[in-house]
Amino acid sequence: MRSFDFIDTALLLGLFVLLAGCYGLFYTIGELRQRRHWINIGYVCFFFQAVITLLIVMCAPLGIGWQLLIIASCIACFKIPPMAFSYLKLIHG
Amino acid sequence: MYVQDPAFWRAGAISSTVVMSIVLVFLTLDSLSAITTGGRNVPPYTVINQAIDYKFDATLNISMPVIGGEQLLFGRKYSATEAEALMDIGKLVIQSRACMDYHTFFGNGSYYAPDLTKAWLDPVWRQMWIPMTQADSKEEAIVRFLMNPEKYPNWGRQMPNLKITREEAVATTAYLKWMSAINANGFPSGFKTNEGK
Amino acid sequence: MYKSEELALKYFAAAMVLFGLMVVFGLLSATHYVQRGFLLNKLDFSIAKIVHIDTMILWLLLGFIGAIYWFLPGELNRETVGIKLAAIMFYVLCTAIVIVALVFIFVQYGGANQFSLWFINQGRKYVEAPRWAAIGIVLVLAVFCYNVIATTIKAKKVTGIMGVLIVDLVPLFALYFIAFPAITNMSVDLYWWWWLVHLWVEGTWEILIGCIMAFSLMQLLGTERRIVEMWLYIEVALVLGTGILGLGHHYFWIGTPSYWLAIGGLFSALEPLPLLGMVVHAVYDAGTLRMKTTNKPAFYWIMAEAFGNFLGGGVFGFMMTLPQINLFSHGTQWTVSHGHFAFWGAYACGILSVIYLALQKAHQVAEVNGVRWRWSFALLNIGMIGMVGALLISGIAQAFYERAIGGSTLQAFIEGQSNPWFMQGMTARLAFGMIFAAGYVILIYDLLAFGKQRISQATVLRPA
Repeated sequence: MRSFDFIDTALLLGLFVLLAGCYGLFYTIGELRQRRHWINIGYVCFFFQAVITLLIVMCAPLGIGWQLLIIASCIACFKIPPMAFSYLKLIHG
Repeated sequence: MYVQDPAFWRAGAISSTVVMSIVLVFLTLDSLSAITTGGRNVPPYTVINQAIDYKFDATLNISMPVIGGEQLLFGRKYSATEAEALMDIGKLVIQSRACMDYHTFFGNGSYYAPDLTKAWLDPVWRQMWIPMTQADSKEEAIVRFLMNPEKYPNWGRQMPNLKITREEAVATTAYLKWMSAINANGFPSGFKTNEGK
Repeated sequence: MYKSEELALKYFAAAMVLFGLMVVFGLLSATHYVQRGFLLNKLDFSIAKIVHIDTMILWLLLGFIGAIYWFLPGELNRETVGIKLAAIMFYVLCTAIVIVALVFIFVQYGGANQFSLWFINQGRKYVEAPRWAAIGIVLVLAVFCYNVIATTIKAKKVTGIMGVLIVDLVPLFALYFIAFPAITNMSVDLYWWWWLVHLWVEGTWEILIGCIMAFSLMQLLGTERRIVEMWLYIEVALVLGTGILGLGHHYFWIGTPSYWLAIGGLFSALEPLPLLGMVVHAVYDAGTLRMKTTNKPAFYWIMAEAFGNFLGGGVFGFMMTLPQINLFSHGTQWTVSHGHFAFWGAYACGILSVIYLALQKAHQVAEVNGVRWRWSFALLNIGMIGMVGALLISGIAQAFYERAIGGSTLQAFIEGQSNPWFMQGMTARLAFGMIFAAGYVILIYDLLAFGKQRISQATVLRPA
């Protein structure tokens, strides 16, 4: 990796996870309050996470295996909040 | 529903822990064989009798240690037993003086002082420290520095005097030479030596 | 009050004292970076740092042990077995800590011999304590394990949480023996050292704090046992499922085979995923309660735990975990920023939450609130976030100038350390460290002044 690339890539990776957290936060708030607009804010956060995923895959000098890992993580991050929330509702009865 | 059954998740916890632990054990056995002295990544201690360099390998795309021909250390050649004894003392110096709480070794330790992974190969010894210490060799320059770091002007973050004896300094220098020959998958990247110049 | 709970309060007090020492020596370490020649040959950086990181490890450990002694009688409906012995060991431990600290500060170094390792300084990061003290820690941990296991056997009751805790104590105890050997081969030494450090702080400690949080949630939120136990099992599965081979992210550059780059990178990249689940869980709990609770500080510190763990471990960790990045970030202040944030979020916040819970019950306060805890909460977290932000800037500058451009030679190190971004980051770190220290002072004031209002028995709030 070239000298400057690693900083860009690192910051994008950090933003990737941060946006996943924001999506999880707003999605859960939206479900709890039964307010669509919070959930939509969550989806906007995920949208930006997806954009960052695309940027990383297209621009960061990572091998194909690592690119697939980032994509798989992005998909997992999309699924985790609704799955976790549904499960919490189920077990709390 | 099975996802509501704690037993399901308990089984998951046990199985994931057990499987990962078993994999770790197998990888440990292989890794230990690679990093034991004489293994595929870590040379025997007698490498201190040889010239060491660190060069970029275009095929592997990383920098790799290069072990060359005979290069005496402190004007002599060390047998396997002597080299091991020297390494034992060198490592005891590193531990007793808590070097890991100033410096890093393979990037592990503290970040107040430079990384020592390839310190033996640092061009600064020939460029600056040999003239400053008026030593006749790189190893002698390192020894003189270690014994009295306060005598030699430093950039601003002074190394304290840790009362290192000559015997300890010789052993530490030898240890640094051996350590520089370890294959660390390209860490540090881009380290330019001036060996052979 | 059970004797076990009394002992727990002593452990918490000792933990808070060590927390304070950690802060003082942290400020000293930070000052070394911004002031040339600071205490040179009197209290060098290494000694300040050793006391800083060792008191960190110890105060967290004391917090864990205290938390378990606190919750054990309630969980098993009986006094802890061997509690008298445990009480003696507490004083043995405190005495040992004082002696070791005094030797670190006033003796500092010995010669390159076994005497130094046995009585002065072992010189391996986090486990610098001389061997005689390490034996003391082994004995304290052994008695602690005996207390937990024997009480469970006597109570004839193995709850899910106790089962996980007991199984976790076995590797926790066994791994500490890695603090003893002095292995000449640095690669082999570091290999095993990381088993101890990683499998403690990213393995057994995660499970331990998980158990403690399970107890806390049952008490603080009235959460059903069935629910916390399921989450505990899920956490064990995910955290150890990713964390055991996530150990590989420490094996990129120590001489181990190159397959660790792929294995370590893959598994540690997965580590943030369970933390995302934890964030959802935390928000769910906060939301169902509508942020109402009889112990506001305990509740806020648990929330800080979930978010801090995610940010410090997940976000900051993910930034630097891929080997392609780590090649440059490794061994720089970038690591320091991640380490501070992760330890704070994953462990410190959780222990502070338990201390507030314990004090509520000990002083029989119906509702814990006020102004002081809010100030300490704000200052500690702002101080921490400021420090890690400043360290991130310094770390990125160092990674760029020293590692990427300079190739990590001595000259490159000097240039990195002299870089204006680096230096300003280190100055800002010290400033935020002082804010953190102010937060600590207010925290101690708040804890000492606890229970000025003795109203009535604490009640558990049901979710709205």
